[in-house]
Amino acid sequence: MRWIWIDKFIAFEHGRRAVSIKNVSLAEEHLHDHFPGYPIHPPTLMIEGMAQTGGVLVGEAFDFREKVVLAKVSRATFHCHVVPGDQLRLEATVVGEIRPEGALIEGRITRNGDLVAEIQMMFAHLDQSRAPLELGEENFVFTEDFIRMLRMRQLNHLEPPSAEHGS
Amino acid sequence: MRFYLVDRVLELDPPKRIVAVKSLSLAEEYLADHFPAYPVLPGVMMLEALVQAAAWLVRVSTDFQKSLVLMREAQNVRYGNFVRPGGQLVMEVEAIEIGPGASRFKAVGQCDGQQAVQAKLTLEHFNIGDEDPLRADLDEGLRTFWRERFRLVRGPQALAARAQS
Amino acid sequence: MALSRDEIMEKVREALVDALGMDEDEVIPTARIGADLGAESIDYLDIVFRLEKAFNIKIPRGDLFPDNILTSEEFVQNKKLTEKGLAELKARMPYADLAKFEQNPNVDDIADLFTVDMIVRYVEAKLSSAAA
Repeated sequence: MRWIWIDKFIAFEHGRRAVSIKNVSLAEEHLHDHFPGYPIHPPTLMIEGMAQTGGVLVGEAFDFREKVVLAKVSRATFHCHVVPGDQLRLEATVVGEIRPEGALIEGRITRNGDLVAEIQMMFAHLDQSRAPLELGEENFVFTEDFIRMLRMRQLNHLEPPSAEHGS
Repeated sequence: MRFYLVDRVLELDPPKRIVAVKSLSLAEEYLADHFPAYPVLPGVMMLEALVQAAAWLVRVSTDFQKSLVLMREAQNVRYGNFVRPGGQLVMEVEAIEIGPGASRFKAVGQCDGQQAVQAKLTLEHFNIGDEDPLRADLDEGLRTFWRERFRLVRGPQALAARAQS
Repeated sequence: MALSRDEIMEKVREALVDALGMDEDEVIPTARIGADLGAESIDYLDIVFRLEKAFNIKIPRGDLFPDNILTSEEFVQNKKLTEKGLAELKARMPYADLAKFEQNPNVDDIADLFTVDMIVRYVEAKLSSAAA
């Protein structure tokens, strides 16, 4: 099981808003434990998908130089069950602006236009927020692998949000 | 990787309280991504562990009536220290109230005596037959499944210890 | 768009409930954000963003919740504020109620000044200066 809970970005507005897609597939291992015979995509992994969407949005604002991590989930509310075959649309919007101290993100997850979840979360830089241990220089949050897998170098070449399809 | 985030129930006082532990091992593959060269238990996995601990308290307190227990809402989830491989997240979950179809909890997770995570949780409990009548047959099997898993996480021993004290 | 104090209180309460996961009836004017409502470091920033959005104001860093204001020796001696320190605090937090604090100005008690009521007064002041 990889720790990537979104599949691609479909819209990106530097410092303001990002939209990603997550496909839910029977090929994913965790669904067979959650639950046996009746797979439901775990709400906590939807929070992670939003954290990855918002995290890229906040991280990109610092050119991926900072280790941006989830510091708080103010509230996450889930309205319906997500099952294999569903395609989720995760939209993260910055509340106010991204500050050096951190950012508040308003997140909305939909499936075919239906509201699945509303999530508000905060990000901060790792060095400031948690008890830092032997943190090295390299940015292990935004590694080249992660950036390449999510095609993050092309974010700013995505079509502007108004031209986004399937929304 | 298996999506079971409670390894053992340490204390159980239904319907009020449960103490459970999630042990973190480098053998858990997703750690390779979170993060490369600095593996730590992801924040949402700490949250999932709290949810699963709360779910055990629901099941025991309601005699495993509903086959599925799922998080509906999380509030004020705050993170402190990381949990690193070899470490254990010890979770204490207190019920605010447990109803037939929903429940609310205050939950805290600590590692080495330091706060790692805290949250307020709302869970929903239901039978598959309630939302999908064609597959109501799955409920009985799931109830049996959860009773077996309860033995796996040493739930009965925790209950027995409570009865003795 | 002149908001009454009650309307401001309502919106401040909503922001605090959303940021801290409290019940509405716990958010009373005298409640201290930290000691009574359980706010931790990250929560203060959450509150600031929500207030900015609710009232359409800008709250620069340290303006509402001054952090590390009094680090120099002329302001703090033996963990208590000096005369100069008190004057500096008053200048930085004109909307805070310092009467009780003044009697025993311990640096560690500064966080107790951050009450719901203080936030309401801060917002009131911001809104009226914006309108002026």
